Amino acid sequence: MKEEKKEFSLTADPRVYSAEALRLAAFVFSDRAEVCVKPGKGGLAVSFASAAPGFHPGDFMNEALNQQCRLDLAKKNSKAAGMIATKALLSAAGEKKKA
Amino acid sequence: MAQKNPAKRTSPAGPPQLLWRREGADCLVTNDFGHYAWLKCKDFNLLAAGSLGEKHPKYAELADKGFVRDRLDFEGLAAKWRSKNAYLGTGPGLHILVLTLRCNHKCLYCQSAAAGVGARNADMSVETARKSVDFALQSSNPAITIEFQGGEPLLNWEALKAAVLRARAGAKKAGKQVSLALVSNFSLMTEEKASFLVENEVSVCTSLDGPADLHNRNRLFSGGNSHAATIKWLKYFQERYKHQVPGYRTFKPSALLTVSRYSLGRHKEIIDEYVKHGLEDIFIRPLAPIGYAKKCWGQIGYGAAEFTKFYLASLDYIHKLNRNGTVIREKMAAMMLEKIVNSRDPGYVDARCPCGAAIGQIAYNYNGDLYTCDEGRMVGWEGDDTFRIGNVRADSYRKVMASAATRACVLSSNLESQPDCARCVYKPYCGVCPVYNYEVQGSLWGDMAANDRCGLFKGIFGALFALLKKPGGEAILKKWAGK
Amino acid sequence: MKNQPRANTEVAVNLKKYSLETVRYAAHAASAAARVFIKLKGPATAVVEFSPTGKLPGPKIAAAFRAELDDETLRAKIWAANSELRDFMILKALSTEPARAQQDDSGLTPEQEKELDDLIAQVESEIKQEAAAGASADPLGITKTWEDKYGAKKPRKKN
Repeated sequence: MKEEKKEFSLTADPRVYSAEALRLAAFVFSDRAEVCVKPGKGGLAVSFASAAPGFHPGDFMNEALNQQCRLDLAKKNSKAAGMIATKALLSAAGEKKKA
Repeated sequence: MAQKNPAKRTSPAGPPQLLWRREGADCLVTNDFGHYAWLKCKDFNLLAAGSLGEKHPKYAELADKGFVRDRLDFEGLAAKWRSKNAYLGTGPGLHILVLTLRCNHKCLYCQSAAAGVGARNADMSVETARKSVDFALQSSNPAITIEFQGGEPLLNWEALKAAVLRARAGAKKAGKQVSLALVSNFSLMTEEKASFLVENEVSVCTSLDGPADLHNRNRLFSGGNSHAATIKWLKYFQERYKHQVPGYRTFKPSALLTVSRYSLGRHKEIIDEYVKHGLEDIFIRPLAPIGYAKKCWGQIGYGAAEFTKFYLASLDYIHKLNRNGTVIREKMAAMMLEKIVNSRDPGYVDARCPCGAAIGQIAYNYNGDLYTCDEGRMVGWEGDDTFRIGNVRADSYRKVMASAATRACVLSSNLESQPDCARCVYKPYCGVCPVYNYEVQGSLWGDMAANDRCGLFKGIFGALFALLKKPGGEAILKKWAGK
Repeated sequence: MKNQPRANTEVAVNLKKYSLETVRYAAHAASAAARVFIKLKGPATAVVEFSPTGKLPGPKIAAAFRAELDDETLRAKIWAANSELRDFMILKALSTEPARAQQDDSGLTPEQEKELDDLIAQVESEIKQEAAAGASADPLGITKTWEDKYGAKKPRKKN
């Protein structure tokens, strides 16, 4: 028997989860549910439609938190990260320029 | 270590950067330079607070290793960092030529992957093989390895032969050090082919999954006994190695172990099989649910905890054998130890920052398509070309190195941008895999908190640091590094 | 969170003591064992809900989360005091070109090169035979030749 696809919704506090983090998580989960993020009463309203079997909104929020932590880290580490990535790409391309 | 150019003293003088992991009353600390130390938690608290006095018994060691801010040897520590991350100064060193998709085996972990022996349009043409070699020789890396893989590469002997000859001629012209390696199941090896390989300094590597019953269970071969063919030719190449002749160097053959669910619990028999056949390295490689293996994961796969248990038991057994005078080492451990103990880059493209996808290795598909790595090629085989970086006939080397997939892999595998990795005590020695993340977690970045590959590497590092902590274990493990 | 079972464990965190960023990372670190959801309650409190997904029970996850809050605070402190120094060290390491090995220019004629290669091969062969004869006495391969260990041919340096 084909399992009926479920719908879920939740509200996330934008001070904790930025819209960008939620959208990034929505992209990652695009094969598991149709995710819609929009401003709502009391925060960002996140709704899930056509969820695949086994989908759980809590897994989506874990991914949103992962993305938010990545964004937090980028504010701190972007200089170091940029130097390393630039050096790696330039060396691979055969450029002699210093990072 | 000379103490030059001390930084301006600040009070209190804490660590300039610190990664740690608490284990009971002890704490393992590491830093960007690849140094590590075991501390009691109370000493860790002193270090972190900048209150570890110069008379403290651990002070000198920690200062030498770059853990004390006002005692930094800038030149020495920068040199350590550079040595450990030497790959950042070079381009792709590993070039994997997939000479054919055809194979005469039906191995469980790639049963849907390889095409049948009679399949058409699955072989690399001689022209593409030569072009692939020419492309590899354009790498900015002064020392490259060209590895011939399949399917079973011996099914396309003409292309293999042409690529070997092209590489040997091209190496001199390009001023490069070129190593050649063949990965084969040996079932189609002949005396004539073997001699050609040996005389052209092609090293050979095969798969050996353990004793005959286990090997043949994993590696189904309708044309005969896979294990018997493997052992027969292993012995042949070992004999050639023992009887070196002037004019060329003959390399010792090696073997790769792929751990399937059937291997779990049989570590002793597997290791004994390697020892029995004179192999001095065993590379305990976990299976990854990528490409073909993803489809049959339920049958052959396992979790990080199961693999870690197997790996720990294997290391313990190898140690026991070493203590009794048997020569054998685990290759993954040896490569990690090269970083941990010697702060040197072992050339392991799967565990570095950024990962070796495209900038450390390139996979050349039979039709000339280029992928970030062999795992990326496997994803391509499933119809998803996320990791395709170009084509050997259509694209220039520089274009490939600047492709969207190359850049995406570099950025997403940069540990400085990974929230968990940036804080992890094993960061100086580890690396993430964007292909694994993409296949298992749906994004190149992945989520390390719930990532099984991360759990697996943490298990391996945990085992190595626990052994390094033991006085006897450290002596043996240090000799594994840089062997 | 609607349509979800109630979280097994909740932890209230004082945001005057821990930054929201710290709470986020500590909660993320616990997400290996639980589904995590963070809410704000008033201006100075974050409430973190843990819904265990594995064998680890909620109270143990909460305890690990609390320990991580302190560790993350320490990381933030070390980072704030040293980020520029760290960037400087990485830049320094990346900016200095390592001494490169000389290219294959031994200063020998091709004939001399060949003679030397033959001599090396002969000596290696003898060493290997000796090593093979007394293999058990050398478990760690100390008597192995350099070529055996590293495989690749290296350029000879000019004196």
